[in-house]
Amino acid sequence: MRIGLSGVKSLLGLAILAVFIVLFPLALSNPYYLNVANIIGINTIIVVGLTLLIGYAGQVSLGHAAFYGIGAYTSAILTVTYGFNPWLALVLAALVTSSIAFIIGTPTLKLHGHYLVMATLGFNLIANIIIVQCDSVTGGPSGFPGVPPLAIGSWVFDSDIKMYCLIWSMAFIGIVLGLNLSMSRVGRGLRALHSGESAANCMGVPASKYKVKMFVLSAVFASVAGSLYAHYLSFVSPKTFDIFFSVELVTMVIVGGMGSIWGGLFGSAFLTSLPHLLSSLDEYKDIFYGFILVVILIFTPEGFIPGILQKLDFYLKEKGQRNKKRLDDFLDEPGFNGVAGIPLADSCSSKRLEASNDIILGINNISKSFGGIAAASSLTFDVQKGSITSLIGPNGAGKTTTINLIYGVYKPNLGTIIFRNNRINGLYPYQIAAMGMARTFQNLQIFDNITVLENVMVGAHAISHNEFFVSMLHPPSYWKEEKLIREKALEALSFFGLEKEADLPACQLSFGEQKRLEMARAIVSEPELILLDEPVAGLNRAESITIAGLIMKIRSRGTTVLLVEHDINVVMSISDKVVVLNYGTMIAEGTPIQIQKNELVLSAYLGGSL
Amino acid sequence: MDHLAQFIVAGLTTGSIYALIALGFCVIHNATGIVNFAQGDFISLGGLVIFTLLMGLKVPLIIAFPISVIAVTIVGALLERVAIRPARSRSIVILVFITIGASIFMRGVFKILWGKNQMGLPPFSGETPINFAGATLMPQNLWIFGITLISVIGLHFFFSRTRLGKAMRATACNPRAASLMGVNVNSMVLLSFALSGALGAIAGIIIVPITTLSFDIGVMLGLKGFAAAVLGGYGNSLGAVLGGLLLGVLESVGAGVISSTYKDVIAFGILLLVLFIKPSGLLGRGDTERL
Repeated sequence: MRIGLSGVKSLLGLAILAVFIVLFPLALSNPYYLNVANIIGINTIIVVGLTLLIGYAGQVSLGHAAFYGIGAYTSAILTVTYGFNPWLALVLAALVTSSIAFIIGTPTLKLHGHYLVMATLGFNLIANIIIVQCDSVTGGPSGFPGVPPLAIGSWVFDSDIKMYCLIWSMAFIGIVLGLNLSMSRVGRGLRALHSGESAANCMGVPASKYKVKMFVLSAVFASVAGSLYAHYLSFVSPKTFDIFFSVELVTMVIVGGMGSIWGGLFGSAFLTSLPHLLSSLDEYKDIFYGFILVVILIFTPEGFIPGILQKLDFYLKEKGQRNKKRLDDFLDEPGFNGVAGIPLADSCSSKRLEASNDIILGINNISKSFGGIAAASSLTFDVQKGSITSLIGPNGAGKTTTINLIYGVYKPNLGTIIFRNNRINGLYPYQIAAMGMARTFQNLQIFDNITVLENVMVGAHAISHNEFFVSMLHPPSYWKEEKLIREKALEALSFFGLEKEADLPACQLSFGEQKRLEMARAIVSEPELILLDEPVAGLNRAESITIAGLIMKIRSRGTTVLLVEHDINVVMSISDKVVVLNYGTMIAEGTPIQIQKNELVLSAYLGGSL
Repeated sequence: MDHLAQFIVAGLTTGSIYALIALGFCVIHNATGIVNFAQGDFISLGGLVIFTLLMGLKVPLIIAFPISVIAVTIVGALLERVAIRPARSRSIVILVFITIGASIFMRGVFKILWGKNQMGLPPFSGETPINFAGATLMPQNLWIFGITLISVIGLHFFFSRTRLGKAMRATACNPRAASLMGVNVNSMVLLSFALSGALGAIAGIIIVPITTLSFDIGVMLGLKGFAAAVLGGYGNSLGAVLGGLLLGVLESVGAGVISSTYKDVIAFGILLLVLFIKPSGLLGRGDTERL
């Protein structure tokens, strides 16, 4: 069971937090601050969920005060009007909130950027007005009084200190669940879709489902916080759940540093207590509040806590300067001299025989047009299992479109695509990934917000199974799978000579390294078929030869390769079959030798006939 | 149904204001990609300054109007210089929340300078109603329509015909490329804040006579303007005008025909429906991720 450095840091953080939670009330002179601490605890529960949604999944919601309110009102109404047990009411409130969040989230999370912000804000406004207007049920603008306190048997949570114990136990559990999720397979998937939704989809991360699930989960956090709030204050008022509170909640996430649960805790503590700290300033309170907020965001945009931690890290490891591995070293490594030194054609010829007659991928008569332009028309070709098949053609011939059609990024207008005897057109990329296909991208799609190793681990998303629930609770089965994926990922990295870079942020890699990272990410799932979209574009001759050798090695591991490439030397030396496209139609198909002599191909490339 | 024409006139009036506010959002968005949540406070400030000039200092309208606009323009530019430009991060979310902080700050200042009381201004030119196509128009409605129309045409001319306007559009498209072509991107961003300050001020000045003025009048108006901009397709000027007018009319007709307490529910409900059907607004073009 390997916990890893981040795990150790988290455990240490949790231990410090636990000690602090226990000591805080003892060190307190003024009971008023206990009340503030309780509100901080309640806000923290919401902020943990929101941090996962905003910082990890990258979906900004200005509607979470509504979920907080729905939780509070459902608890209040169920206990007072219908006499439910408060704990049962808390669970039912969470169920009601999650249903609403699911219904709202499904269409809303299709939106991006400002549209998403507006839609969640609109939802919050509507929810708030409905709460105010349904006064026969909710008590209307004057609020809902008389909510009973929570109790376990005869132990009633009826004082600030008792509620402190309850609220902070719940907040602590919330933080643990949040930390667990953030470090898990799901957490990686969320950060990947934050960085590039389509690319994450192609790695097997069901992006839209994950966004909705994360939205619902964060709404449940808010709902539980709302129920606690209702029972704590025994009174709920619609003003507590207006859009301005939503804005404040997101501000807490951002001030704390998006993408850090600890930052969220800080943000909630800081912004909840700030008005109380400034209360002596009376009417100047707002001015200072706004001023402090602006200053923090200007000077520590990565968040207060991560900002400080980063500085600490910086001083701790002066040697943190990266030893950048040069390509020469890479080529000199023992694993690669078999490739780099020898002319390609020789090293390949023996392998050609491996291709069998089984068809792994069949493209039958597919057409796709964008507006009036036919990017692919009546394309038909097969890819033999165990082969390296190349797709070539001049710029704009429809090569990448074909790759995207195969991978489900685009839906063909006509025709069928058969992969391992299943029709796959109409499926989503993440489903196709799960069937044993993987790909790289013409325009690099590195997840630049996570480490090199994590990038590769996202590549294994399609072959692993730890979902939200397991990822929050970390049972032994979780660790088993996590260990397996980590090992596979490290193996894939060393296959591409990147094992020393494993813990670096992926954005720090050079262009050539990022290209190899993409290929490592694609092979980690041990796919049946890999689609490589221009793997050597932009690389120099030596690098190209290395990559060509690695492509051969991928094939010898049992993976069929469909290659799109402009570098004709690479294509001709490693391919078993070459398919030539021009203006979206296939103009030739055959062995490299046949293609080199084909007049149609020559005229397409050189213009005119020879 | 008799009142329908009246509701539409009322809706077009508030809709014009929303359109102006939405344009303010678009101008800043197009130069920086951010949503400026202090836009609402530009509106408040415009109204508050002209109130002081007209009622306190007895300055004639013809002079007070431009002074107010210039004052808010300067505040807009100041916001960019002191809060946006020094920001260590270019992340959109951070910049957006800087404007939220700035908005809280500005509202705090307004509250101290002008107090929490409700204030009022008389219409620009009397209160003699005019009958037009079954609806009663107040002169202030005409002022609002006219000034909005002039602003929209002026803005269109600026962006399509002037060198500066074209440079701003280039900055919107690709700031780095624009800067390599010799456009001073910093000045363009500054200009966009100034311009949107001016638009906010105009909206604030013309709406005050038909509503009550308070230090936070702009908050809800700003949100409506944001909604209008999103409805039309964020960043699209024509969309902003269309979205503003549509939102105004929907709200007014919804309030008149169904219920005034639910007018925001109707307006925002329709906004949500439009977005669910067309995720990039009425005239917006969706971003496509290229693989």
